[in-house]
Amino acid sequence: MKKECVAMLLAGGQGSRLYVLTGEMAKPAVPFGGKYRIIDFPLSNCSNSGIDTVGVLTQYRPLELNSYIGSGQPWDLDGSTGGVHILPPYMDSKGGTWYKGTANAIYQNIGFVDYYEPDYVVILSGDHIYKMDYSKMVARHKESGAACTISVMEVPWEEAPRFGIMSVNEDDMITEFAEKPKAPKSNLASMGIYVFSWKTLRQYLTEDEADPTSENDFGKNVIPAMLENGEKMAAYRFAGYWKDVGTLESLWDANMDMLSPESGLDLHDESWPVYARSVNAPPTFLGTGSRVAHSAFNRGSILDGDVQNSVLASNVRVGKGARISYSVLLPGTVVEENAVVEYAILGEDCRIGVGCRVGGAPEDTAPSPWGLTVLAPHCRLPDGKQVRPGIMLDRNGEEVSK
Amino acid sequence: MNGLHGIIFSYEKRNNLRELTEIRSAASIPFGGRYRAVDFALSNLVNAGVTDVGVVLHGRYQSMLDHLGTGKVWDLSRKRGGLRVLPPFNYQKDWGAMPFRGKIEALSGVRSYLNTIRQDYVALMDGDLVVNLPMAEIFEEHLKSGADITVVCGDDSFATEDGTYYEKDESGRITEVLYNLHSPRGYRGLEVYILSTELLKELVDDCTAKDQYSWRRDVLRAQREKRNLHCYVWGGFAAQIRSVQEYYDRSMQLLDPEIRAELFTPERPIRAKGADKSSTYVGAEGRCVNSLVAEGCRIEGTVENSILFPGVVVEEGAVIRNCVLFKETTVRRNARLSYIIADKNVEILADRTLMGHSTYPIVLAKSSKV
Repeated sequence: MKKECVAMLLAGGQGSRLYVLTGEMAKPAVPFGGKYRIIDFPLSNCSNSGIDTVGVLTQYRPLELNSYIGSGQPWDLDGSTGGVHILPPYMDSKGGTWYKGTANAIYQNIGFVDYYEPDYVVILSGDHIYKMDYSKMVARHKESGAACTISVMEVPWEEAPRFGIMSVNEDDMITEFAEKPKAPKSNLASMGIYVFSWKTLRQYLTEDEADPTSENDFGKNVIPAMLENGEKMAAYRFAGYWKDVGTLESLWDANMDMLSPESGLDLHDESWPVYARSVNAPPTFLGTGSRVAHSAFNRGSILDGDVQNSVLASNVRVGKGARISYSVLLPGTVVEENAVVEYAILGEDCRIGVGCRVGGAPEDTAPSPWGLTVLAPHCRLPDGKQVRPGIMLDRNGEEVSK
Repeated sequence: MNGLHGIIFSYEKRNNLRELTEIRSAASIPFGGRYRAVDFALSNLVNAGVTDVGVVLHGRYQSMLDHLGTGKVWDLSRKRGGLRVLPPFNYQKDWGAMPFRGKIEALSGVRSYLNTIRQDYVALMDGDLVVNLPMAEIFEEHLKSGADITVVCGDDSFATEDGTYYEKDESGRITEVLYNLHSPRGYRGLEVYILSTELLKELVDDCTAKDQYSWRRDVLRAQREKRNLHCYVWGGFAAQIRSVQEYYDRSMQLLDPEIRAELFTPERPIRAKGADKSSTYVGAEGRCVNSLVAEGCRIEGTVENSILFPGVVVEEGAVIRNCVLFKETTVRRNARLSYIIADKNVEILADRTLMGHSTYPIVLAKSSKV
């Protein structure tokens, strides 16, 4: 079955900078925005862009992710041709290895891609929050005649050294690529989203695999090799909300952004819906004594306390007299009566005992350093427990360092 | 196969639901912030392990067909069995001219379907019943009691439009079947029955041969001495949605945590279609208390004692009290509503004031603009 375009979604990373949140699940499976998981964004983008064949490359702790994706039905990716396919590393008659790098992950699945005989392959990551029409990027790729098109966005100059930076000519064709440059020559940052002409990519992947010194990584090896060989490389400019949620701070930021449509992250826009596998629960109940302001919540919650500037996922319970502010509560979290939670991320099914105090505002800790307070999924705090700002606890309630 | 089969009735019948049933049958009326009435019957059956369910339709069933789809939401999209949608394919009278006069007529309209039932027992349910029954337990009791027909009854002080009431003896056997009463007495029938597939076919054929169409008159009442009718009493929440007043009163009961715990018990989840909407957002100046709120709403004004379906927008300064607002209702700035049931997609413009009363909630028809 020939497809013009196939998407390959890199979802195997551990996401070690999310620490305890990814202790038992891969980063793309981490809940976001009260309803979603991170992977809903690239999957919904594919579906909305008309890409109906998606390979999801999994490796680290795939159980949660596999069961979440299931048949792909929530994203309309369960068609009889194409659809979503989970692609873990595998053995063959000569043995097998884990995915050694992003490029190797695709290399190991050349057979999968070949099956659909695509003209173009879109490479996506599973750790970005954004809404993007990939069909426009593919159109740019076709029109420019490039072998590879890289999606870029302008970032403030002072932040440029944190990104892979592209220099372009007057036609927005890439002339130079620098990974985290100290003195950036441009402020166009790579978003880690690539469109390749499959024939060319296939050849580069094979060559890259044959090079024992290569790290088998797109950004470090494949893209530089293509540039060096003078392949036509196009930049595709993206303007809109995009955030890499690879760190606790950026994950928290992105959740706060969804509370303010001015941030550019508008999830109520029905022209570009973000789909999710939904939880079956009754609507949320807001009790007589509750006070919820500038906050978001989803299904199945019972809120009797005070919730400000926070994002609550499904089946959360906030007891009477409890106060939650500037926090992200993942599904099934219970905050008992009179507990206070500030500037925190609480993992799934956490329980905060009566009268606990978790986290604090930046101004409270000055002059000592401040940080978000993070609790691992299933962490249960006994009544009255104090957890200072910046502390991270594992599921047994023991402190771990960030 | 010695199991239970489900048949749900969703045809037009006498009710007082006014504008709410202009565009739909009572079974597809939205209820409880995210459900349709029929979700309850379907979930009750599926939670008891029922895999085959027929839904008998007649009249205004477009909305019902949309809602049911392939039955996937209830795991009824199956290779063997699953959901069977039964429009009146075998109906002898003028096509679509008149709703069925009773359950027997409805069943004789789908008589050939009854022959395809694989299970030995059938549960009959009405689509307008909002309840969370332990159907597996009721089925077990039916088998143990040796009854010909088990009749499930409610045990509360609520009356219903055109209700059927039962009196029973100490053993649970039904002694009297009553309807059209001036003041109801006995147990209120929930129109949920269990009987063997064979008996059902026999009763349908016998009645049809005599031109009888009413289940309660020609079967239950006429044969109450000849057949062993057993009464199963359900003490929990059970609402039949047959009038606007019932709809309103029963909806408001959901603001009581005990009623919700009973109706939404996690052991028997009520399944419903998702709404692909984002989380609900309450603004910095918004106030929302004692209310049941679905996803995808935006609340910048004040909401009290109300039920909001997905995608409701309440703008700044608007005040909503004691209302039920269906999907995608928009209430503009400084509008004030109390005791209003707004159907889907209603828009209330800025500064409007609309007041019903707890004894006469006002219904705003679908897509109307005030």
